[in-house]
Amino acid sequence: MKPAPFAYHAPDTLDEALELLAPGDGVRVLAGGQSLVPMMKARALRPTVVIDVNRIPGLAVVEEEGGALRIGALTRQQALLDNDVAGRAQPLLHAAGRFAGYLATRHRGTVGGSLAFAAPWAELSAAMVALDAQLEVRSARGERTVPARSFFTGPNETVLEPDELLTSVHVPAAAPRTGAGFHEVSARYRDFAQVAAAATVTVDDAGVCTAAELVLLCVAPVPHRVDVAHLVGTTGDAAALDAVAGLLVGLEPLDDIEVSGTYRSRVAVTLAKRALGDAFDHARGAA
Amino acid sequence: MSDKRVVRVEVNGAWHDGLVEPRRTLSDFLRDDLDLTGTHVACENGFCGNCNVLLDGETVRSCLMFAVQADGRSLTTVEGLAEPDGTLGRLQQAFHDNHGLQCGFCTPAMLLTAHEYLEAYPDGGTDEQIREAISGVICRCTGYQHIVESIRAAAGGAA
Repeated sequence: MKPAPFAYHAPDTLDEALELLAPGDGVRVLAGGQSLVPMMKARALRPTVVIDVNRIPGLAVVEEEGGALRIGALTRQQALLDNDVAGRAQPLLHAAGRFAGYLATRHRGTVGGSLAFAAPWAELSAAMVALDAQLEVRSARGERTVPARSFFTGPNETVLEPDELLTSVHVPAAAPRTGAGFHEVSARYRDFAQVAAAATVTVDDAGVCTAAELVLLCVAPVPHRVDVAHLVGTTGDAAALDAVAGLLVGLEPLDDIEVSGTYRSRVAVTLAKRALGDAFDHARGAA
Repeated sequence: MSDKRVVRVEVNGAWHDGLVEPRRTLSDFLRDDLDLTGTHVACENGFCGNCNVLLDGETVRSCLMFAVQADGRSLTTVEGLAEPDGTLGRLQQAFHDNHGLQCGFCTPAMLLTAHEYLEAYPDGGTDEQIREAISGVICRCTGYQHIVESIRAAAGGAA
């Protein structure tokens, strides 16, 4: 199917884009188009005005300072993967990002677009929640910063108001000896995740855990952060990792046409242990 | 509300002008306005990858771009891979020699995807890397094995 007709604007400045976005209703931002365009074709979305932000300079810049990253929202997903500085600063961005779509969709799809569309299987959402990223949001009314951990409100739903534009993502610096792991299961190679697990682990110079994060996708309406504080003080041994299973009891993932919620729950345990295990190994190797 | 706009794009080395509604996809523009029907459209939702073209040298889904977004940009479609006299390019010849196609529907996208891959991995890389590269294009005939062999055969020279 073809999209319904719309008025098209391709502003050259951020201020101009925010003015165009100000009416909110019926207006949509077009960045990479990898989510918006299919939804417009299905007529699930019928914006009357489309604002193409691709010509605005400065929105696709990745900057690093002291290990912290500022990732412009228009940064292409593949550009993030190709950015060695970002990958060294926060290995989880690359571990998760390489599962996001295919090369041809990553060439167009943007970091900000992935977050703003909030697909339940979006790998970068899990990464940003795990890394405690801060999202910078602008509108003609002003700007605000939203933690990734409170950005998502449901499948394809966020706290973004219709007149707001996500402009950049700030990722705090990783502590020394921090490792990352990411695992996912999908029906076909590189297809949408049915379940995914993102993990980071920080160890001291003896290889003992001082901090750990675990975020699961597709087990709850939003990226699901699991409190894995019990890992602190351990070396990530089998008993410590096995204890993760107990933390996932009570989750009620949804059934869909491909897999049952029960399947997701069981796979989540396995993927969580693998992701954390990889993060431990990686953290010790990164000493 | 949907006034037509002028679009000027370079396709396979030649500049073309068009007058399109903003909702005209790049794939429809190539096929229906420029009569370049080598770009094949299947799912039209970004899943199958059969509409892949090169935008400034990078593969993109032409069904997920609006033609107006390609204004001023350079495109390569499968029609741009052969010599002007119709002689197949090295990569095309390798697909021919190694049975890298059956029905041929996915072949334009496979060729362009492989073209980009071989630019990055001129020695052909590993089979795993080739499979990762073509994972975004669905083929319903070959089982991919002969496509992988074709790309490996084409490696080592200009695609």
